Amino acid sequence: MQCKNCGAELPKHAQICPKCGTRVAEEKNVKVIAIVGVILALIGSLLPFAQDTEEGAIAKAFSFMNIDIAAMWYVFLALGIVSIVLLVAKKDKFSWISTGLALVVFFASFFAIDFRHYTARNNFKLYKLPDLLSNGLNGDHVSIGVGTILVVVGLVLAVCGCFIDVVAKFKKKGNVDTKYLTNKLNKNIWAEVYYYRFFYLMFLPVFIMVCLFNYWPMLGVRFAFTKYVIMNPYYVGLKNFNQMIFNDIYFWQAFRNTLFLSVVKLILNTGLAVIISLLLNEIVNLLFKKSVQTIIYLPHFMSWVVVASIFRLLLSVNSSGMFNSMLISAGLMDANNPTFWLGDPKTWVGTFFFINVWKDTGWSTVLFLATLSGVSPDLYEAAEIDGANRWNKLVSITLPALYNTIITVFILNLAKVMNLFESVFVLQNDSVNDVAQVLQTYVYFKTFGAGTSDFGYTTAIGLFKSFVGMILVLSCNYASKKVRGRGIV
Amino acid sequence: MSKVKVINGITLNEKKKKFKLFPIINGLIFILISLIIIVPIWKVIVDSFDGKAGYGMSLWPQQFSLGGYTTIITNPGLYRPFIISVITTLVGTFLGLLLATLGAYVLIQWEMPGRNFFAYMLLFTMIFDGGMIPKYLVMQNLHLLNTLGAVILPLAINVYNLVLMRNFFEGIPEALFEAASIDGCSPMGTFFKIVLPLSKAALASIGLFYAVQFWNDYTNFKIYINDQKWYNFQMKLRNMVVNNDVPDDGVISTNTINNAAVIVAILPFAIIYPFCQNYFVKGVNVGAVKE
Repeated sequence: MQCKNCGAELPKHAQICPKCGTRVAEEKNVKVIAIVGVILALIGSLLPFAQDTEEGAIAKAFSFMNIDIAAMWYVFLALGIVSIVLLVAKKDKFSWISTGLALVVFFASFFAIDFRHYTARNNFKLYKLPDLLSNGLNGDHVSIGVGTILVVVGLVLAVCGCFIDVVAKFKKKGNVDTKYLTNKLNKNIWAEVYYYRFFYLMFLPVFIMVCLFNYWPMLGVRFAFTKYVIMNPYYVGLKNFNQMIFNDIYFWQAFRNTLFLSVVKLILNTGLAVIISLLLNEIVNLLFKKSVQTIIYLPHFMSWVVVASIFRLLLSVNSSGMFNSMLISAGLMDANNPTFWLGDPKTWVGTFFFINVWKDTGWSTVLFLATLSGVSPDLYEAAEIDGANRWNKLVSITLPALYNTIITVFILNLAKVMNLFESVFVLQNDSVNDVAQVLQTYVYFKTFGAGTSDFGYTTAIGLFKSFVGMILVLSCNYASKKVRGRGIV
Repeated sequence: MSKVKVINGITLNEKKKKFKLFPIINGLIFILISLIIIVPIWKVIVDSFDGKAGYGMSLWPQQFSLGGYTTIITNPGLYRPFIISVITTLVGTFLGLLLATLGAYVLIQWEMPGRNFFAYMLLFTMIFDGGMIPKYLVMQNLHLLNTLGAVILPLAINVYNLVLMRNFFEGIPEALFEAASIDGCSPMGTFFKIVLPLSKAALASIGLFYAVQFWNDYTNFKIYINDQKWYNFQMKLRNMVVNNDVPDDGVISTNTINNAAVIVAILPFAIIYPFCQNYFVKGVNVGAVKE
């Protein structure tokens, strides 16, 4: 092969002419629409393909989950993931093969394989979907579910999306810098793989661990669509979500509490940390500053159990509790009617915030202090010469310097607000559930607490939590890219 | 504020002595803040040495006694959880550091085919997770429930720490890697002879993060372990304070033992923390500033 521009002989896998730097192979972009299509299809494979819209004791819904040959779903999933990988690797044509196969698997299961309908646990009858759709089930009308639509639309999108290049519309056409790119782009990929063979071996342990403890649980979200009481999940469609959103006031209470507790905690923590670091920055005596820093960082390294224990002992209502004894002897509290700081919904929230500030605010100052120490002293000197006082310097120099760090800290922590668990778990008790139950603790108590627990239902709550968390992380990531030019993940 | 004096033709810039209120108030504020943090801890220390129950407001032991600590050292129900804590912390930190350094070393091979795939694979776990129940079911399938594996393995692979380690590794000059490969050093050799010796600070910093995480772990124990035999110290402490599950011999007040247990739980990091403070601070700064 020869370069069209300069006529030089090209190496076998060349994408760029090593001599003149023009592109000889067409540049490819990742086909985003096709990837979205595959993801839609994967989500659709969890949702009911056909269902009875009325609610029964055991919901009449049919999906890969209650297909008689369970392996079909895993095959479908594997094909979908292969498609995504191929699309990301820009091998569009190969992705059609796996996407097409996924479509075949779907239609084969839809038309040819039996679906189970559970009349009770361990007791099911087999039905074919086309029969159900035309004849109904026990007199009830069965209609096409949202799953079928999503899978078909998704897979069609996955094929057609390869022809639409959205990225190209947003991408600026830049010149290829021959100095840096030629070597990489012109190499044979298998030679590269061979060259890096030891590194793959080194990544293997990490790969296995991530697959076992991060990706395998992700497959477990399928239990959100099942009833799973004692080791025998069976598919119930969207019943759990229906129950959760429309019939469970405790769920909404927990959701509200999660947002309230973690957002207020975040604002308090960040705000106080900024104030403390500004004041700390004014201290001239280095020894004093260092000691203060050492002291205020200390509580961060205690576990929540320890912190909860300390405050439990400190706020105890009997005579050994220091805080109540102090208030009583100061005449601020009636000795016969002491306050249960962590047992009363009215005082719990305040105490929770205080303990959180006590534990973490000091540590939050680390980043702000690092930023402040990076501000050039020349700026302050110049301001002094111009006659600026302490307040002027704060407003015009220090705060603008801190602004980026404040936003960074805020965004980093906002992404984590749904993960509130341990701090609440160790401080709550039955009497304050109204204000203290958050999503994670609700899931914990509903699953591992007394009584028979439905793992399916609590998985559904967990899935909702993860989903909201994902939206938060992605929007924070977007915000972070806008504000400081790079993402958080 | 400074006024210029001219004496015998020499200009002197003399600062006017002025009583400054702000530094004093500022200092007092920080003394107050330090007191708010120190007093609860001090109170627990005092009470742990106090043999008499009902301490009230006293900030000094009324009846000095080492009974709380002797109980912890001699009672198998109390020192076994402590040893389990030590084991999980040591094994977990070692395993965590191994995984973080290996993963980070692969992630800085920018030219490696599949490097981006691995990076996105790791980053996706920061965006979405399966949730508590699916993780529990996975542990059940792996037969890890009620073993220390359930609490060590999932925490050992910490993607955030891995990315942090990568940030540290990126600071190593490229030329060193090139020189090593020219001299015929294998990737493994480069890893052990160049990367690791150059990142002692990173290893200390991330190792400390791991150690704190394992020592303080309560959530994983609470979810995956319900056999008293495998409780760590945090679990035991929680049971002591909340359920009054304290060995009571009638001599030492149970409250004293609880207070002593709190101190023992803090002690290891309270001792090494002042010496390692800079490593912690450095780790946090590298994590947020570079990434």
